Amino acid sequence: MIPYRKFICRVCGWIYDEALGDADGGLPPGTRFDDIPDDWACPLCGVTKADFEPYVLPAAAVTAGTTPDISVTARSVWDAVIVGGGTAGWAVAERLRALSPSARIALVTGCAGDLYAKPQLSVALSRNLDATSLCQGQGADTAAGMGITLMGGTFASGIDPHAHRLRTTRGTLRYGALVLAQGAQPVRVPSLPADLVWRVNSLSAWLRLRRSIGDTPRRIVLVGAGLVGCELAEDAATAGHTVTLIGRGPYPLDGLVPPAAGRRLGARLEHAGIHVMNDTFVHNVTKPERTVGVNVVTSGHPALCEADIVIAAIGLETNLHLAHTAGLDTDNGIVVEPATLRTSQTDIYALGDCISIHGQPCRYIGPIAAQADTIAHEILGLRHAGYAHQPPKVRLKSRVAPLELTGTPDPAAPWEVVTDTTERLVMQQRRGSATTARLEVS
Amino acid sequence: MSARNMTQAVQADTSLLQRVDEIARGPLAAIVTDIDLNGHYPLEILRTLGEAGALAPHLQRNGADFGLAIQAMATVSRQCGATGFLMWCHMVCGLYLEKAPNSALNMELLSTHALGHSFGGTALSNPMKALAGIERMALEATPAPGGYRVSGVLPWVSHIAPGQYCGAMARIDGQKGREILFLLRFDGQATLRPCPHFSGMEGTSTWSIRLDDYFLPAHDVIAVPAQPLVSVIKAPFILLQAGMAAGVVQGCIDSMLEVEPQLGHVNRFLEDRPDTMQAELDAFTQRALKLARTPAETDPSYLLDVLDVRAHGSELALRASQSALLHQGARGYLSTAAPQRRVREAQFVAIVTPAIKHLRLEMARLMTEELPA
Repeated sequence: MIPYRKFICRVCGWIYDEALGDADGGLPPGTRFDDIPDDWACPLCGVTKADFEPYVLPAAAVTAGTTPDISVTARSVWDAVIVGGGTAGWAVAERLRALSPSARIALVTGCAGDLYAKPQLSVALSRNLDATSLCQGQGADTAAGMGITLMGGTFASGIDPHAHRLRTTRGTLRYGALVLAQGAQPVRVPSLPADLVWRVNSLSAWLRLRRSIGDTPRRIVLVGAGLVGCELAEDAATAGHTVTLIGRGPYPLDGLVPPAAGRRLGARLEHAGIHVMNDTFVHNVTKPERTVGVNVVTSGHPALCEADIVIAAIGLETNLHLAHTAGLDTDNGIVVEPATLRTSQTDIYALGDCISIHGQPCRYIGPIAAQADTIAHEILGLRHAGYAHQPPKVRLKSRVAPLELTGTPDPAAPWEVVTDTTERLVMQQRRGSATTARLEVS
Repeated sequence: MSARNMTQAVQADTSLLQRVDEIARGPLAAIVTDIDLNGHYPLEILRTLGEAGALAPHLQRNGADFGLAIQAMATVSRQCGATGFLMWCHMVCGLYLEKAPNSALNMELLSTHALGHSFGGTALSNPMKALAGIERMALEATPAPGGYRVSGVLPWVSHIAPGQYCGAMARIDGQKGREILFLLRFDGQATLRPCPHFSGMEGTSTWSIRLDDYFLPAHDVIAVPAQPLVSVIKAPFILLQAGMAAGVVQGCIDSMLEVEPQLGHVNRFLEDRPDTMQAELDAFTQRALKLARTPAETDPSYLLDVLDVRAHGSELALRASQSALLHQGARGYLSTAAPQRRVREAQFVAIVTPAIKHLRLEMARLMTEELPA
């Protein structure tokens, strides 16, 4: 049997397949084209068989290389989309604009994108700072001045890395390059419920906390005796509040500094009127009445701390949800290539609190400017020397025990005392003859 | 599961999907226009699908395979979005029945339901929106001897008809937090009124329901309070819809490829080409199937993922259907042509609860930092 053939209508492109026929037109399956009566009409456009021609399947019409790469032009709607309106996000926007007056830049942020220096939040109570003095610029004004599009109150929900699309709660953006500057969020644990315990990781959260504290002295419990916990505790005490500082370790800044330094800090905080509770774990927090009850186990014994305000400062973690929607490599942060800050996906970069370099997050303001500069150069295809990560100097903003830590402290290595007077404690770690870390408490 | 059992399970999945594909490409494809425009309610197709096992892979009794349920729905939706939607309605109703405490529901009725020997949908669009604070709860229940009395009007509920049933929710005495989930039977007590003519998907048997002191017997109560069950069902409810989206998108790609030999030389100037869309669809499907492996997950980040994948599906469907129409040109614009039907199907995917805007509202809410009052 001769194989069935196909004929195409030159007018409308409808295909007559001999195998299928045209039941509606009275042609049973298997009707040969030659046997079709002359008065038969194309079911689509009504022309007769004279307007049909044999249909030969062309060789693949689409071949790589000849196809205009429309997806590239489509995805270039935004040269750069930045997720995060904190210091890191704005730093990238600023560097991109400085290097390219014409780049189309969008900044997506769940907050209003107002500019502020986060380190100030942990000294703001005692310095009597308010919204006006903390806010260094409205997001909308800054964006307008910079010539970028700010999408405030907008959350990024998913990334399609192949299509170069970022889904947000205000629509989907096509990007040429995507920059994740989403920051880190306070660690959440069930024993410190979010509806009873404050966490201060943004200007808006601090302002709400400030409003809740009001203008009368309060009993404030700080959970977490790390850098932020110690700073917030001292800040609140200096502002006239009754403060309890709860830490899991044997002394404040446990894990960061050696016992001699931690004990000195603890003693100074106690001297400043802060009730420092070491070796203390929070069992739960309840609010049966107006007062919040913090049930703790301190040195093995249960105890109750009553408070008006409870603040947790037990650490930060990167929310990896967005990164995972893009299939990015992550560990305790978004993994980036150290010299370029590129993630595991093409055209997606990350910086600031959300990243990890060589498996380590680095959640300080210090490195952000250099990171932003590197990413801006990368996105614009400009030469750069490569980002070289330097552990930043760590300072405890304290009046009673200013502390400074430099170098790369190794938690497992011993510290040796350089100077130990009542005014000043200096310690260091060494590898061979080189000093690898130095600590000073004055 | 042993390697041998695993192999058998994979074979069973493959053969189910093959059977579904035969039904979809055969009897279903032949009546798609009739369903879409003339209001043919394809219960005969659903019965065939049910007997093949395609309406129940997600039920506990069949191993709670939500991935297979999504794939079966996608296979059907590739040919007919309306029938894919009916499958979703049916599957979700199965979830409610499965959770009912009464064995008449969770055993007997669920068995006939799973096989497509009885039919029922879901009237939870309004309650889902009501619980999200988007609109008012339409039904109100009042305790009565032996059960409740329920009154109110639900504007459009699909996959229902006289003699059928659906899962529904009412607020007891109109009080927030006091909701009841129940089986609403169309046995004469409830009034069903036809809806105005829709622009497509007419064969979904969509009615307006009016209840005037409907007596709800205690044995038809599925959950009271309803919220704990709703929070368990919410993710699978939304995730299953990925099957509709994936099927419609695949159908759109089929339409693009169909004209590729003839029109490829000019269609290459379009964006959202079939290869691009296929890559995006494959990534979407993979993600949905991965989420489908843990339907009972209650972590907020899981729900966020489900909401995002659902929004992604809607966006893909809208783009793909638009592109398929542009690929086919005037041919695709004929009233019986698949591309323009799929434009309407995609629009439906994007507006059916949870609509894109509803999803975004819920995602924004989930991502907003919670602080003490």
